[in-house]
Amino acid sequence: MSKQQKLIRRVYPIYMLLILFGLGILFKIGQVQFIEGDHWQELAKSYSTKHRKIDAIRGNIYASDGSLIATSVPKYEVRFDLNAEAITNELFAKHIDSLCLELSLLLPEKAKNEWKSELTQARKNGARYHLIRRKLSYTQIKKMRQFPIFSRGKYKGGFISIQQNKREKPFQVLASRTIGYSRDNSKPVGLEGAYNKILSGTQGLQLMQKIAGGIWMPIEDENEIEPEDGSDIITTIDINIQDVAENALLEQLIKQDADHGCVVLMEVATGEVKAIANLNKTKNGGYWETYNYAVGESTEPGSTFKLASLIAALEDGYIDLDDSVETGNGMYKFYDQKMYDSRIGGYGKITIKRAFEVSSNIAVARTINENYRNNPQKFIDRLYKMNLHQKLGIEIYGEGEPRIKSANDPTWSGISLPWISHGYEVSLTPLQILAFYNAVANDGKMVKPRFVKEIRKIGKPIKIFGPEVINPAICSKATIEKAKAMLEGVVQQGTATNLKNANFKIAGKTGTAQIYNAKTGYKNDKQVSYQASFVGYFPANKPMYSCIVVVNAPSKNVYYGNLVAGPIFKEIADKVYATSIQLHEEIKNTAQFAERTPIPVSKNGNRYDLNKVYSELKVPSLQNGENATWVAASAGRDKVTLYKRVFKVGIIPNFIGMDLKDAIYIIENMGLKADFTGKGIIKEQTPNAGTKVENFDRVKLILT
Amino acid sequence: MLAVFSLLLVYSSIVTLAYKHHGGNTAYYLFRHGIFLGLGFVLMYVTHKMKYSYFSRIAQLLLYASVPLLLLTLLIGSNLNNASRWLTIPVINQSFQTSDLAKLGLIMYTARMLWLKKEILHNFRQAFVPIIIPVGVVCALILPANFSTAAVLFSACMVLMFIGGIPIKHFLSLVPVGVVALSMIFLIAQFAPQVFPRAETWKKRVERYVGDKNAEDIAGNYQVAQAKIAISNGGILGRGPGNSTQRAFLPHPYSDFIYAIVLEEYGALGGVFILLLYIVLFFRTIKMSTKTDKPFPQLLAIGISFLMVFQALINMGVAVNLLPVTGQPLPLMSMGGTSTWFTCIGLGIILSVSRGIDLENNTKTKLDDYAIA
Repeated sequence: MSKQQKLIRRVYPIYMLLILFGLGILFKIGQVQFIEGDHWQELAKSYSTKHRKIDAIRGNIYASDGSLIATSVPKYEVRFDLNAEAITNELFAKHIDSLCLELSLLLPEKAKNEWKSELTQARKNGARYHLIRRKLSYTQIKKMRQFPIFSRGKYKGGFISIQQNKREKPFQVLASRTIGYSRDNSKPVGLEGAYNKILSGTQGLQLMQKIAGGIWMPIEDENEIEPEDGSDIITTIDINIQDVAENALLEQLIKQDADHGCVVLMEVATGEVKAIANLNKTKNGGYWETYNYAVGESTEPGSTFKLASLIAALEDGYIDLDDSVETGNGMYKFYDQKMYDSRIGGYGKITIKRAFEVSSNIAVARTINENYRNNPQKFIDRLYKMNLHQKLGIEIYGEGEPRIKSANDPTWSGISLPWISHGYEVSLTPLQILAFYNAVANDGKMVKPRFVKEIRKIGKPIKIFGPEVINPAICSKATIEKAKAMLEGVVQQGTATNLKNANFKIAGKTGTAQIYNAKTGYKNDKQVSYQASFVGYFPANKPMYSCIVVVNAPSKNVYYGNLVAGPIFKEIADKVYATSIQLHEEIKNTAQFAERTPIPVSKNGNRYDLNKVYSELKVPSLQNGENATWVAASAGRDKVTLYKRVFKVGIIPNFIGMDLKDAIYIIENMGLKADFTGKGIIKEQTPNAGTKVENFDRVKLILT
Repeated sequence: MLAVFSLLLVYSSIVTLAYKHHGGNTAYYLFRHGIFLGLGFVLMYVTHKMKYSYFSRIAQLLLYASVPLLLLTLLIGSNLNNASRWLTIPVINQSFQTSDLAKLGLIMYTARMLWLKKEILHNFRQAFVPIIIPVGVVCALILPANFSTAAVLFSACMVLMFIGGIPIKHFLSLVPVGVVALSMIFLIAQFAPQVFPRAETWKKRVERYVGDKNAEDIAGNYQVAQAKIAISNGGILGRGPGNSTQRAFLPHPYSDFIYAIVLEEYGALGGVFILLLYIVLFFRTIKMSTKTDKPFPQLLAIGISFLMVFQALINMGVAVNLLPVTGQPLPLMSMGGTSTWFTCIGLGIILSVSRGIDLENNTKTKLDDYAIA
């Protein structure tokens, strides 16, 4: 029993001690809360935090051939935590000179001593976030990481780099409006806007803390939520065609001193938009892409709409191509409204086909008016069946609203029918008209214009877009054939004979519309303002591409569609045709060319490569002797003879006659560097062949 | 007593939830913590079903096992902040702090030795020396990696020996040994820093503690400053669960500085409540041990209880800057896998003792203890 009592006795002092300890803690809590409270609250304010968003790397936008048309280029801001704990005075003193020397070499805007005094002063001032430089490239930052002190990293070396991404378009103005942009607080534009979610990926988060001086620094090295990079978008844009289109448009706009214009080129079968150019006059007189007219500008199309009207009448069986129509002397009155044809004196009595070819307003208006006068809604319904009143539903924001009013619309009048028939009182965007013409070219199947082929993530396709059919048949096959015949006629013997070409046929329709201004009507500055257009497809017999050109407000008194828009169309068509080998008809009589084919002069080089070329081109060759990798070629009368080229270790070989690629391969394999000037085949070299390698470290090559 | 523990546990999970939900993976941490606690409970239950007399044997085994384990840890253990404290168990791939095992083992062993030598406690050579040697060895092995744990454990053993009846004059003999040992550490740290890689940290922490209070807002005393902001934020009633802002700044808000977060979210009242829980735990243990006259269960329960409560108080002391910064977890509250388990086993042992005593005295106070439990 005494034992137990003793134990109890001894445990109480310990217990008391623990209680004392506890009281100490309580006291401390009280002290911090009530006595020092204000001080800590003050301090807490200076320590506030926020979550910084870390943008994921935005996906790239590529042209169909893989050229980069929009990309994010990382830029870095570098700051220096001069008072990082691990940078001791000793360390700082030891390395500051070499660091400043390196800095002055990389960023020569300040000399070594300037850097040194700046950094020393900043360290003295307690700087923890001293700005070294903004907008540095990745290579620069990589070099900086190797610098003394900086190489110790963020915590031990105070090296802080902050990445920012800048969006760049390597092709500048090319399709720039269609590529578009996406910014906060502004409407999304173009593909950047439409595919913003896919391109932008998922934002990451990093907890930042405010330190003395109101500067934010990341608390931990790792991010709380890692950003996930955006996917890439492969567009349908063909950068070469785009270039041609943009240049052709620009040239013509300058020539006509026009206000603005646009060009869209589309692949008939798939609806892939290969080129889309929009240019408008800027304040300083130049032209730039600032609005996507092709997508957004809904205007009265004028004569190009006649195709739709005549297709309707053909489809309803009211007319045929050979039916004749009286156009009179070039003026016709619908109630009190006069309608004119462009030829003074009129076309007289002509066939429907001819009327289309010469673009007679009266002929089309009378045909439609007389056939549908009693039931105008029937005509409108025909147009609706061809989906002309519906938006195409393209992904780019801001598609213009097509407008074709119904016969019971309050603004419908007695002249509505004739005027609609030749493209007034209706409005469509250039892209919508193109989609309609494309449907004709595509044997009646209307496909949706597309700008994006594929979405890729880290090089792997995650979504592939195929053609989207809006309407499988806008009208019967027979009507399509008639429509095609009319469109070909326009170029062959109609208003657009200036587009005729010996190699391939273009089919299409000119349009010359007066522009309606909400304030001044069709007159602007006491002068009628025009919109010239040409829309069509080529080659006419086997349509591959459809294209529309619209030039708005040409001011040089030339306003006819064929003269203003036509040349642009032709230039683009010619270029596209010339570069599309699959469009060319086979040259039939090859014998006359093949008769005396000389053996081509051949470069020296790799045996395997050369043989591959020879077998592809069916050039007879003689393999001389051993199976050497590097050979010299000599062209004879009926064959090429290959000789072995010998390379001895340590001896500079003879490069003359080789091409640069092979020579550099050999030179660099020998451990040397190559300098070269010129283009073509190597004609001179220093050191000369046969010299020992060990005396040199570079080989100079002069090309022809 | 069980009620007290479960309350602690629930509390702990709330807090864990509270400060982790700001980051990603909250569910993961919470789930993991829940599993650890659940397993801890199981361990506690199993331990508490065992007869306390077995612990005497187990103590020996644990101690013998922990010495080589500690050595192994020092040599190959994974290195966190220059301190090799962790050893990864193969197969289940769970790392654990070997010192936790050693702590439990040593306390149990000391209780056992005190009991075995109860008749000769006054004999310096035959009682004091054989008891102090294992204590010294184990603490010395923990010391290079974790000074504070070694110190806490050493104090707990001293207290236990004191309670166990070792004459006070015997302890005095330790003073010269201690002085010599500490100066040796100091010298070694000076001239061969690689032996005590943490020596620099210890020095800094102590310097900061004794140093100029105004320097606190400078990065060096960052942890302390942040903890104090947390305490001051909390006020009397606290900001409410989950509203801590300081958790973002405090390193290890879920272990070493959890008490500061408790103070911030639940205020001084919450803090006092937690403090009281630990004090009550110790008090209950004393009460319980008065019901038996067998020294082993008494010493066992008091030793383990003291170790836990002492560690808890140290943790709180650090959080309120009563003590220099050191990494003692708050038993049961801190999130930290295996140490929770060892704590649970410790509690299980206390409960087992309590159960054992009750069985022995089942004539009377049977209702007493379980009523409160």
